[in-house]
Amino acid sequence: MHIVVCIKQIIDPEVPFHLFRIDPVTKTQVRGSHPLVISSYDEVAVEVAIQVKEKFGGQVTVVTIGSSEALQALHQALAMGADNAVLLCDPVFEHADSFGKAFILAAALRKIGDFDLVLCGRQAGDIEMGLVGPFLAEELGIPCVTLVANVIAAEGGKIHLKRPIETGYEVIQASLPCLATITNDESNIPRYASVKRLRAAMRVPIPKWSAIDLGLEPAIISEARIQLEEIWVPKREIRCEFISGESPEEKARNLALRLRELKLI
Amino acid sequence: MSILACCVATKSSIPRSTLELLSAARSLSQQLGQIPVQALLIGFEVKERASNLIRHGADEVLLAEHPRLEHPEDEVVLRLVEEVVHRFTPQVVLLPHDELSGGHVAPRLAHRIKAGIVTDCTGFEVKDGDIRWLRPVYGGKAMAFFRAKGTVQIATIRSRAFEPLPEDPLRQGEVYELDIDVEAFVPSVSVVERVETIEAEKGPSLDRAEIIISGGRGMGSAEGFKALHELARLLGAAVGGSRPAADMGWVPHSRLIGQTGKIVAPKLYIAVGISGASQHMVGASSSKTIVAINKDPDAPIFKLAHIGVVSEWEKIIPPLIQSIKEICKQ
Repeated sequence: MHIVVCIKQIIDPEVPFHLFRIDPVTKTQVRGSHPLVISSYDEVAVEVAIQVKEKFGGQVTVVTIGSSEALQALHQALAMGADNAVLLCDPVFEHADSFGKAFILAAALRKIGDFDLVLCGRQAGDIEMGLVGPFLAEELGIPCVTLVANVIAAEGGKIHLKRPIETGYEVIQASLPCLATITNDESNIPRYASVKRLRAAMRVPIPKWSAIDLGLEPAIISEARIQLEEIWVPKREIRCEFISGESPEEKARNLALRLRELKLI
Repeated sequence: MSILACCVATKSSIPRSTLELLSAARSLSQQLGQIPVQALLIGFEVKERASNLIRHGADEVLLAEHPRLEHPEDEVVLRLVEEVVHRFTPQVVLLPHDELSGGHVAPRLAHRIKAGIVTDCTGFEVKDGDIRWLRPVYGGKAMAFFRAKGTVQIATIRSRAFEPLPEDPLRQGEVYELDIDVEAFVPSVSVVERVETIEAEKGPSLDRAEIIISGGRGMGSAEGFKALHELARLLGAAVGGSRPAADMGWVPHSRLIGQTGKIVAPKLYIAVGISGASQHMVGASSSKTIVAINKDPDAPIFKLAHIGVVSEWEKIIPPLIQSIKEICKQ
């Protein structure tokens, strides 16, 4: 089975509130000295792909849209256990909205050709619209299953996907090729990429495909239907009232009294 | 021209998200010059519910009833909404931002009908006749206005962003039974099994609880959550957790609070051993009062909490349980 995982590199979302800045001109987060990481659900999707390969055989290809900085994300995925990587790199890709990105990825998947299963994180850790995965399925005209945690069986051109629900999980059967958006559960915590494996991954050749390589018209990509108009960091004005006490027992009692006083308990 | 609000209901109840959606639709209608609000009601044996939708803000109800819509599959709802949009040509389509509608139906619908789309909205404003959709970005660290371009705009609405309108018994409206051949919608994927792994929850659900006690990575183990459950039983509270706690299996994923879990807004939210990552806090920040218990005085949660206790939870929760028992007896 050939599994293709679409990943996005973002600025580490763990950056604390007080270091978070928005550039008023580009209307995006200021990079500063913050590290770049694979968006968390995309990293989970890479983990799922590798588990599928280990359980049912096959190969894993990771694809990302970005500048050469994004090679770092691809190296990490390779070090986790992916077999191949492709960087979709072109200045015209930079301003694509979710529709544009799905359009670019669909072209890349057609160029890859022999894929069976496409995995995307359920949403990126920056803008979090959750659109690219379902859009990509529509572009490719293949079945789409959203919020999947893992693949539990694969046989004869069909797969069984595990989708968590309130009371447990559903098993969803789909014919290949299909696309699944990936959410996290206890079965898919991303594995660690060791330094040794990262070094080996750096030696894997990564092709770069431009709009021309994909046969895409720049005008179609830049025609955005989702426009970010205004972005700001809201002020937070909560002042925390700390509960005092000589001992934890006293603090606990004072907390209980305060909550009672506020009629909260 | 209309606003179409898509609601999936069951025979016994209308989800709170539906009432919130109607409230959002009403508010948008007012800002757009009172264009009508159509509610698409999807379900089986839900006709009785149509008048509730009207009393909560719909001008008319389009009723789609079929046995297959009792627990509708994603693709069936997608095809149904697509058909309704073709027939009624609404200007705006609103859906709740849940797994079914926000995660699946809305994006695919937008792609199919070439609509603009903004997901997970918490508000909007109308400026020079154009709608600007408001939503948090970067895990709640920033807010942004987006514009959706296209002849139709689709938006999904975050739960708890709008208060349901009070029921108005005087509101009247038509109910149209849609003649749509649901049988013709053959989904390309099928649910072959449902596995129940989580025992039915005792006590109130996260959606309904007035008090929620939530644990994070700092709880250290599943064992630690037992103390939170004991406190919860005492207060009639529900127990939730942050993503690290859910990933470790200390709380079921259905009890995850935050960006990708439940958005809650109880009267009292007690966060124990939770650092206060924005991805978690966006799920709880609408709570009326937030209490944080954390051993690290510099934990970001203390910048977001109303009441803070700096201590290891192990030293606070047992005496807290004891104190509450004593105080509430008086």
